[in-house]
Amino acid sequence: MAGMEVVVVACDERGNIDVADLKAKAEQYSDRLSCLMVTYPSTHGVFETSINEICDIIHQHGGKVYMDGANMNAQVGLTSPAAIGADVCHLNLHKTFAIPHGGGGPGMGPICCNNSLAPYLPGHVFAKMGGEQGTTAVSAAPWGSASILLISYAYIKMLGAEGVTNATKYAILNANYMKARLEGAYQILYTGENGRCAHEMIVDMRPFKSLAGAEDIAKRLMDYGFHAPTLSFPVAGTVMIEPTESESKAELDRFCDALLSIRKELDEIASGDYSHDDNVLHNAPHTVEETTADNWSHPYTREKAAFPLPYLRQGWKFWATVGRIDQAYGDRNLVCTCPPMEEYA
Amino acid sequence: MHPDRFERRHIGPSPGETKEMLDYLGVSSLDELIEQTVPASIRLKKPFSFTDFEGVLGEFEYLGHLKEIAANNRVMRNFIGMGYYGTITPSVIARNIFHNPGWYTQYTPYQAEIAQGRLESLLNYQTMVTDLTGLPISNASLLDEGTAASEAMNMFYHEKNKRAKAGEEANEFFVSDKVFPQTIDILRTRAVPHGIKLVVGDWKTAQFTDKTFGVLLQYPDSEGCVSDYRPFVEKAKANGVFVCVAADILSLALLTPPGEWGADVAVGNTQRFGVPIGYGGPHAAYFACSEDFKRQIPGRIIGVSVDKHGHRALRMALQTREQHIRREKATSNICTAQALLANMAAMYAVYHGPDGIRGIATHVHEYACAAAEMLSAGGYNVVHTRFFDTVRVEADSQKMATIRSKAEAAGYNFFYDNTGIQIAFDETVTERDLAAIGGIFGVQPGPEKSGSLAPGSLRRDSAYLTHQVFNIYHTESDMMRYIKRLENKDLSLMHSMITLGSCTMKLNAATEMMPVSWDEWANMHPFMPAEYARGYAQIIAELEKYLCDVTGFDACSLQPNSGAQGEYAGLMVIRAYIGCNGRYGSGGSGLR
Repeated sequence: MAGMEVVVVACDERGNIDVADLKAKAEQYSDRLSCLMVTYPSTHGVFETSINEICDIIHQHGGKVYMDGANMNAQVGLTSPAAIGADVCHLNLHKTFAIPHGGGGPGMGPICCNNSLAPYLPGHVFAKMGGEQGTTAVSAAPWGSASILLISYAYIKMLGAEGVTNATKYAILNANYMKARLEGAYQILYTGENGRCAHEMIVDMRPFKSLAGAEDIAKRLMDYGFHAPTLSFPVAGTVMIEPTESESKAELDRFCDALLSIRKELDEIASGDYSHDDNVLHNAPHTVEETTADNWSHPYTREKAAFPLPYLRQGWKFWATVGRIDQAYGDRNLVCTCPPMEEYA
Repeated sequence: MHPDRFERRHIGPSPGETKEMLDYLGVSSLDELIEQTVPASIRLKKPFSFTDFEGVLGEFEYLGHLKEIAANNRVMRNFIGMGYYGTITPSVIARNIFHNPGWYTQYTPYQAEIAQGRLESLLNYQTMVTDLTGLPISNASLLDEGTAASEAMNMFYHEKNKRAKAGEEANEFFVSDKVFPQTIDILRTRAVPHGIKLVVGDWKTAQFTDKTFGVLLQYPDSEGCVSDYRPFVEKAKANGVFVCVAADILSLALLTPPGEWGADVAVGNTQRFGVPIGYGGPHAAYFACSEDFKRQIPGRIIGVSVDKHGHRALRMALQTREQHIRREKATSNICTAQALLANMAAMYAVYHGPDGIRGIATHVHEYACAAAEMLSAGGYNVVHTRFFDTVRVEADSQKMATIRSKAEAAGYNFFYDNTGIQIAFDETVTERDLAAIGGIFGVQPGPEKSGSLAPGSLRRDSAYLTHQVFNIYHTESDMMRYIKRLENKDLSLMHSMITLGSCTMKLNAATEMMPVSWDEWANMHPFMPAEYARGYAQIIAELEKYLCDVTGFDACSLQPNSGAQGEYAGLMVIRAYIGCNGRYGSGGSGLR
């Protein structure tokens, strides 16, 4: 990566960085150590208490600490990359600072660093910018996708220091509220020392794997009018939920109700009410064509398939336009341009 | 101060809901919850603040504030070129896609069953790119032309050396000195970690060695010249050297495309297909390749498959290459897509169709021809006789200074280097522009606008955009409904919360979004003189400062245009630090 060799550091059973392993590896590679890359709060959604010590170890061995800014929405105003001991980080302005995801781009990933690294910030052939010993450019334009910087600028100008800090606090509140609502029905992987998560949490779907996979649960959420959480990252067989501060309690409840209802549907498979290969999860998502066809052969009702909770009748219903997609078929028969119009059924 | 504050619009829970939620969690206050969550050892010691922050603005106040700053950007006629061109965003696309949260708030289409709309549009994009480049495979966009060219370099390097022993790799990449300077700069950055040696020079005299694994050409080149690269490409092929061509997408409507003369890869910006320049972005870069590279192509590819009912269904193909599945072995590490902008460019092609695109390209070319004739007749030395949209004239420094000062007084930006001036035309050009340029150069426009692209053998005769989708939505009613039909298939933040962990799908407020399309921000060229972009300079300076406040750091670079680019930039900065501080000796030997 960037011409560097990657050495992976282990995690302990709580999902935190294994400090002993980190120490051993930092010593082992001391003469070649360039940096540690770390996500904070961790990709497991936890504020690790050992982070300062971890950064110290790297610095003692002459390395720098690079912090992945993906989880900055749990930090802004409460702590900072500098406070945890990092030297440089990027910020996903399309995550923390309100730039939309655009259906898969654009985004912006500016970097911030301390004075030791500032002289090396990238320059550009057509603009005076970057450090005195700056690297060559990383993007074609001097300020990247400059026009969308306005979005992050507006976000800061209209919230101010107190507002952005409150956003962080509410992101943490919303996540912990959802965690509390889902606990009992689902197991939450990894939490902090007080049993709290940061701004996101990992919900373990592996206990149900004999009934349905995490992917089935993701697809069933579509029938409930929701997009699935992050699937199987960073742990296979789990979903990772991040509500953000922008959602009201009513919306959080609606999502939790959907997941809790799905838990009941899992129980119905466990109790033998429905078979493993013909149930609402296995067959999800249900399309409008399928649900309204004269021919309906499933052991559950059309209503159960498409309107499992009352809110769906109040304008929240979203129909997936195709059924579960066969991934392998398309890779075996690779077609990457528009097929003839007759096939647009 | 107006009583309506943005904070209560941005943050979801009301005060009443907040209390209910805190009660549910068994804590008495938000701060108590935070104390239980964020370790005291890392919490900021004093309340967070922004440096030199003048006070929180309401939404209406903010728009007024931004109008004032916008006045410090001078809206000019930009004929600078170099990869960024004026364009007309069809209003039907601006209103229904660019300004529409149904198109800009969705996530990457991993959950394909509820993303068939944008997947169809991205498939249109890939079809458009393959048609125009003459290559069979296209991805669904990269960040910019420079990074797309570097991805081609990396792909060639790995392909060429897949069986090479360590230390015996073919590691020379030839780059024409008429490639855009910013692209060459990015190639330098990306070449370093692999130990690739860039050889920059005149393609006409280039010599391949047994170490040469690939070449990069610009078509038309950075001086606007359309060269016949065919003998050169034949020679490269004979030497087992891979060829990448950075090609202007609009020019390919008139010029024989790289895929028809042997290129393995074509890359470029699709910005001039209806996407505002925006002082550098965002835009979608294209990457197209031959069949040989279809399993190595970087980035996301949309492919056709079937659903469980046997119906045609689209999804991202070859996902096993994606980092979320095999992180260490991922091929697409630093190549985020630009879906929204790719969709805009694709819709531009859908709306205009093949005849419309050819008409626009011809319009641009004819104005370039008229300018060339006018300048030539007026005694200027027009350097290249074969061009598409860019006219280059020789000028000494004194002449250049005179022209430049007259041009800028008249509100025109051209491109200037040591020996010449370049005027790059685009679809926004009018007779008034031609007259104004005549005035600036002290010459009179002629009556004729006919011209020739020159080498007859490079005139495109193959068809493109023949698929029905590019030929049936040419009225605004049809276009509007097509866009809406696709939008209806996609779940976005307009429907419900999107709980993607580590993706932070928060509100994208309308007030935050609206100014992006204002003229003063949208129609600014990234290489225009800084003195006319003081509004941007102010935003950039303030935002850098605020982001330093947020991170607790001292310096900021806003250049990386995606998270992955940011990571790469951060690692390269660390690399430079270590190299400069001699930690591993002069060569930084610890870094392979």
